[in-house]
Amino acid sequence: MAADLTASQSATLRAVVDTVVPADDDPGGVEAGVLRYLAGQFRGDLAGLLAYYGAGLDAIDAEAREVYGAGFALLRPGRREALLKAVEAGDTHTPWPFDAATFVSTVVGHVMEGFYGDPGNGGNRDAVSWRMIRFEVRD
Amino acid sequence: MRVDAVVVGSGAGGGVAAAVLAQAGKQVLVLERGRDVTYEEIGRDHLRNHRIARHPHRAGTDLEGNPRVFVDVAGRERLVRAHEPGFHGNPTLVGGGTRLYGAQAWRFLPADFAMASTYGVPAGSSLADWPIGYDDLAPFYERAEWEIGVCGDHVASSRHWPRAKPYPMPPLPEGLQARALRQGAAALGWDVLPVPLLINSVPYAGRDGCTRCGHCVGFACPADAKNGSHNTVLRRALATGRARLLPEAVAERVECDPAGRVTGVRWVDRSGARHVVEAEVVICAAGAIETARLLQNSPTRREPYGLGNNHDQVGRHLQGHTYAWALGEMPEPVHDGLGPGVSLATLDFAHQNDGVVGGAMLADEFTVLPIAFWARNLPPDLPRWGLDNKRYMRENYRRVMRVGGPVQEIPSPDARARLDRHVRDRWGIPVARLSGTTHPETLRTAAHLAGRARAWLHASGARRTWTEPAHLALHAGQHQSGTCRMGDDERASVVDRWGRVHGHDNLYVMDASVHVTNGALNPVLTIMALAFRAAERLCADW
Repeated sequence: MAADLTASQSATLRAVVDTVVPADDDPGGVEAGVLRYLAGQFRGDLAGLLAYYGAGLDAIDAEAREVYGAGFALLRPGRREALLKAVEAGDTHTPWPFDAATFVSTVVGHVMEGFYGDPGNGGNRDAVSWRMIRFEVRD
Repeated sequence: MRVDAVVVGSGAGGGVAAAVLAQAGKQVLVLERGRDVTYEEIGRDHLRNHRIARHPHRAGTDLEGNPRVFVDVAGRERLVRAHEPGFHGNPTLVGGGTRLYGAQAWRFLPADFAMASTYGVPAGSSLADWPIGYDDLAPFYERAEWEIGVCGDHVASSRHWPRAKPYPMPPLPEGLQARALRQGAAALGWDVLPVPLLINSVPYAGRDGCTRCGHCVGFACPADAKNGSHNTVLRRALATGRARLLPEAVAERVECDPAGRVTGVRWVDRSGARHVVEAEVVICAAGAIETARLLQNSPTRREPYGLGNNHDQVGRHLQGHTYAWALGEMPEPVHDGLGPGVSLATLDFAHQNDGVVGGAMLADEFTVLPIAFWARNLPPDLPRWGLDNKRYMRENYRRVMRVGGPVQEIPSPDARARLDRHVRDRWGIPVARLSGTTHPETLRTAAHLAGRARAWLHASGARRTWTEPAHLALHAGQHQSGTCRMGDDERASVVDRWGRVHGHDNLYVMDASVHVTNGALNPVLTIMALAFRAAERLCADW
């Protein structure tokens, strides 16, 4: 779990990660180790973004409560996706501390790094996404 | 310390210069601001490399203390770090870009040297002919092909360039991308040729052949089969016993005597201590941005705006390549996992396109890393995330293919690398301030070439194709060039046809700064050939 986020923020992040890369016949983002990737990044190159993440995750949760009456992590997948798409489009119903669309695209970029990046960065467990798309590594 | 020659920079031009001089008996000191990094240090990090700078990269300009100032199209200026958009970085390590490059080994086409007389000069541009032509450079292209090591198809290449001698190595075997594109080109009646590469297709010069690993451009070679300065010319220079290479040594200014004659280089070591090395000759080969910065940071009473800059030419005409491209979704997989990936090209649209100036070589793409594929190769109407995105990645990673190439930029005198008046690097040296864009005419050429790329993909079987229009921008990261252009008129150029700075008999530029225009092709073999030519002449006249 990502270090130094609150329990509620971590739960929201987990739900966001599996919304950005949902599980199907192949693992979703969480199972593929994206949270582990992010936790490592928050101690490294993304250390400066931890507060940004925390505030953005709180704002997504507040959106969920305003629109659906429940926290983001408690929504069913279809509603999570709809809500995240609305926020990405700038269609927000609660005050945001910064540009909501930029926050979503930033998080999406990092989730994809954790999913499709090299396992050496802590995500893409056992190169699961590479096997999915059939990217093979040679020496 | 006193040497015969100081070479600033150990990349494509500096490595050649050091070898030619050391082999001619000169004592040479090479100052390289980057580190001497190992293969393991560069690594295979998909998120930190010069191809995908999503985070500070592992091989290159240090993140902290080496910013630049970038002024965007709208005139807004910002401080940029090495991996951020706007920095326009070249890899900064021993060997420079040649350690990590894709190694395409193109000669410039004869028409590339005569853009102004071929097309006329678009209003507002500084398009000009080179003072030399293809024939002047041909023997040195050949020397670069053999001394550094190029694989290619001599017969196919001879359809485009007069060539005296074959390549030392045959081309790499063609894969699925090339097979599809060959069929498409045949249907269209287009000429194609294997992309020549500075890569060992077979063992050469004591090193192994390419293992087709697929982590080529942006990475160091695991088999040492990619030929660059570090494993050829620099190594030969050092083997003479007359050359010395100092990594993490930052050239601060070119030193002159009170009469303005160049006497050496003042440089900074990793601890920040200043040193002066005296030299008979100083050769700047730090890349188009850093060479211009070094000259501008070396003012004298005779040249108050920097050496060679009395006509306000140093740092102007900064250019690189605008890329024209299209992506196509193929009915069958074309990704076979065999590196380097780029394999087949057409030069049919490098020149003589109706209604536009210049053109570009078009070729397929290097093996695309999955994260880069997600970032750049997906259709514009596909959601960026969610199940549809994942399904598309799964079904089409091996089917989507890019065709594209470097559009010859129409230079603008307002595309500039200057010294920033306020910001200094960690050693107190004014940083580069980059501003301006390519000339708008470049965009018309790029649009035309993107159409040709789509046509090629369609003819090769693509179910659908897409592209994006090029934007008016500065492209001066990889392929940066033009800031010390070569010419006979000292009012409109910085160096003469031998790379010697006007008004100086012992100050040279031997990197892409001297390119008047940057070709419809990747420029590195031209940098090497020009350095062979200039250094050989320098030794002959010594």
